[in-house]
Amino acid sequence: MKHRLSVLLVAISAGLAAAGSAEPAERPRYGGTLRVEIGAVVNSIDPSTPAATPQEAAAKEEICSLLYERRNSDGTFAGVAGSGAFRIAEWEPGKHLMLEANPDYRGGRAFVDSVEIEMGRSSRERLLDLEVGKTDFAEIPPEEVRRATEVGVRVSTSRPDELVAIVFTAGRPLAEDAHAREALARSIDRAAIVNFILQKEGEAAGGLLPQWSSGTAFLFPATVDAAAAKNLWAQIAGSPKIFLGYDANDPLEQSIAERIAVNARDAGMEVAAAPKQGTATNYDAVLVRFRLSSPDPAVALARLAAAFAPLAGMNVDPLAEAAPPQRVYDYERALVTGYRIVPLIWLPRVYGLGARLRNWDTPAPGAAWPFADVWLGDTQ
Amino acid sequence: MTFRTKLFVMFVIALLLSVGVVAVGVTVVTRQAFQESNRQHSEALVAQFEREFERHKQDIVHRVQGIADAEATVRMAIDLSRPKSDVSVYVNDARGVSQSHQLDFLDFAGDDGSIISSNEWPARFGYKIDWLTPPQDWASLGAFLMKVDAQDGPALGLMAVSVVRVGDKNLYVLGGERLDKDFLASLVLPSGMRALLYMDLDPNFQAANLVDQSGPVLQADRFASFIEQERRQPATRTFTISWTPDASSVESFHALPLLGRQGELLGALLIGNSQREVVLLERRILLLAVGVAAMGLLFGLILSWWGAARVTRPVQKLAEGAREVSAGNWAARVNVRGRNEIGQLALAFNRMTEQLSEQRERLVQAERVAAWRELARRLAHELKNPLFPLQTTVENLQRAKEQSPEQFDEVFRESTGILLSEIENLKKIIGRFSDFAKMPQPELGPVNLNETVRGVVKLFESQFSAVGRPPITPELHLDEQPPTIQADEALVRRAIENLVLNAMDAMPSGGVLMLRTTHQNGDVDLEVSDTGTGLTPEECDRLFTPYYTTKQHGTGLGLAIVQSVVSDHGGRIWVESEAGVGTSFHIHLPVKPSVRAAPAPAEAAVAEGA
Repeated sequence: MKHRLSVLLVAISAGLAAAGSAEPAERPRYGGTLRVEIGAVVNSIDPSTPAATPQEAAAKEEICSLLYERRNSDGTFAGVAGSGAFRIAEWEPGKHLMLEANPDYRGGRAFVDSVEIEMGRSSRERLLDLEVGKTDFAEIPPEEVRRATEVGVRVSTSRPDELVAIVFTAGRPLAEDAHAREALARSIDRAAIVNFILQKEGEAAGGLLPQWSSGTAFLFPATVDAAAAKNLWAQIAGSPKIFLGYDANDPLEQSIAERIAVNARDAGMEVAAAPKQGTATNYDAVLVRFRLSSPDPAVALARLAAAFAPLAGMNVDPLAEAAPPQRVYDYERALVTGYRIVPLIWLPRVYGLGARLRNWDTPAPGAAWPFADVWLGDTQ
Repeated sequence: MTFRTKLFVMFVIALLLSVGVVAVGVTVVTRQAFQESNRQHSEALVAQFEREFERHKQDIVHRVQGIADAEATVRMAIDLSRPKSDVSVYVNDARGVSQSHQLDFLDFAGDDGSIISSNEWPARFGYKIDWLTPPQDWASLGAFLMKVDAQDGPALGLMAVSVVRVGDKNLYVLGGERLDKDFLASLVLPSGMRALLYMDLDPNFQAANLVDQSGPVLQADRFASFIEQERRQPATRTFTISWTPDASSVESFHALPLLGRQGELLGALLIGNSQREVVLLERRILLLAVGVAAMGLLFGLILSWWGAARVTRPVQKLAEGAREVSAGNWAARVNVRGRNEIGQLALAFNRMTEQLSEQRERLVQAERVAAWRELARRLAHELKNPLFPLQTTVENLQRAKEQSPEQFDEVFRESTGILLSEIENLKKIIGRFSDFAKMPQPELGPVNLNETVRGVVKLFESQFSAVGRPPITPELHLDEQPPTIQADEALVRRAIENLVLNAMDAMPSGGVLMLRTTHQNGDVDLEVSDTGTGLTPEECDRLFTPYYTTKQHGTGLGLAIVQSVVSDHGGRIWVESEAGVGTSFHIHLPVKPSVRAAPAPAEAAVAEGA
């Protein structure tokens, strides 16, 4: 019941958002090339080929959503490439991808004739190109939102749907020490991370699901308790150092990891934040990102557990997709109790929109870029 | 060792000493000069560093002040002075500002000292810098050293603080440069010098904290004791490190303590000055000096040899002249030219030999005259004795003829007998003189001296114990294995007989006659001693002079004949006598004599008498 209610609320809010952002009456227009810039470098658009980095995997997911019409029950793509709204026109791996509108798409031909995707563009370049009108669409890091809006870039922000968390890796001595895990979890000032690093674009996370999804996030406190952390850490013999790994290509993860190290230092702990090299098991803990693949809390939580429980060495039962809210809550509670997985923050997806981009509708969690529905208007 | 060699050695020693003193002097003076130059160089570098450091300080103060004066900073200060201002907006500002102002460290801190934005540790936002907020005249303090907490660990920074005050709220701008290898690289150092920085960031000496412009210093542990000394008592000091046993590896260091605001030691700057160039230069100079010294020595040796030869050649000539003179060549002269002392000595020598020659000539003439006088006196004396009876006898004959003719025949007969007897005496006298004058040339043959001595003693045996005279006891001490000498046995026997006769005459009251033969180094010695009354030294001096005698009826030829025989055999005779004890005659004869040519009979007596 609660699930259906939340889906309904999402739909209504999306409708209201669309109505609220509607430009003065403008007729849809066919044609033009939608210019897109992404930071990731995608070397293969074959869904069966594993991605080298999380950024590549996310970008590849979006591109494949444009190329494929259908998905299997496990979320993988079905059918052939080009059955979706677009098909490949030019492909230069790692650099450039030109898609053209698929006139035979069952959902109807896209308004734009083509989509040109430039890869490997830094956030600064993307922002500058948005500012000068060289691109129509680009993802913007949440921490850059303030700057983007200051320079007049149109910004579309989704609900927080990406979790940043710490996962203690099973088998590491410190990771197996409950006091160490809890001490680190309690030493982290999540609010400061949100306010300063994310420039208030995000939410402190105590649970594994956002409030808008589960409705129970408030039951998972996310406050800092340096004194408790210090006491817990004092119970650990010796002067151990927690090695915390983060994605070397992710400046946000780096900033968060460094802030965690500062907080831990304030609590008398020593945390060495370093870019991940090799496997995650080389570190006591690693920073991870998890984007909700579904607004359904049970589905999202099940996939999250499937993604991180093995790394954390947690043996949990699968969560049924139709699990009731209480079961979801209990499941979530079980995952965070013991501090093997420590939720930190929820991030929204932020898109910078060019001046001529029309009919943009911020995609729901798990939904792809709605390029088939946008059209390009005049710049004036 | 010859005089020339001695002189040469002295010259060489003097030369070596001179060269050594000069070499040592040059080395010492050179080293001192280099050390002084080195010291001045180090001091200049230290002064340069201090100026550079001061310039860096001023520069940092200006840059931090520039940031504080910038419009963006002022706007930040105004914004933060408002109630409920959002500091998170500025969390990333420090990075961009520090890059544009080329500062390694930059912190913006709010009125309570909380970090708003940090370049060196961006994640440190919200934390307080307690020492910033107490009232302080940052402008007059200028730049200062401090230990900075950076994300990659503590670091040493040259920092400055500037305050932007809006209303009653302060915005602190804390910025500076990291003191590390890049800072050292910015120092302009002469060749052979380097700057090292020790960052005193840990409780104990850490080798990793000692860097030069290329990074951590190799063999940093060698500095540990000096750094510890600096940590205990910060002061400017110097020390040296020898990296290898080779002297050229020595490096001298000038240590400057780097102090913080409170006077605490935060590090030390070490200005290293390699001694390699100096040592190599010293070696080159030394090598050159040795080369020059060797050449000088060689030249000096040649010059010394030449000088010694030049100095000693006249001396050698003088020595040869002296040897010639000693060998009897009174006409020897030294041909040395020059007006120096040696020349004057040669002139004096020549003059001396000339005078000696003249004096000898005069002496010979005087001796010759004296000898003739002595001969005349002796002849007169010898001849006068028989002449007197002759005269008396002749006068008796005349008187008997005149006064007693009847007895004349008897007187005549007796007188002629006397006359004949005296004439016989005269003939004997003349014969002895004639014999001495006609001393024959020795005819050499093997002679056993012991046998000769025994023969002589046997000849005189009857006379030793003759009735009517006190007995003389002969004692023979003959060498058991005397060498056979080459001599004229008859002449040697005659000489021994004369000595025995002489000894018997010296012992009128009897005594002991001792004859001893010995041999040494192949030569033989004969000693004939008596226990007579002995001789005075004056008598000893004139004993071998012909015709000199101490006896009433002696001819004075016996010992002269002995000396003549000994001399003709290349031997030597001398006498030792003590009054009241006796007299000993010693004869030394070589085994194989070089027989002298016999002088003319007329001159022989004169020569021996001389």
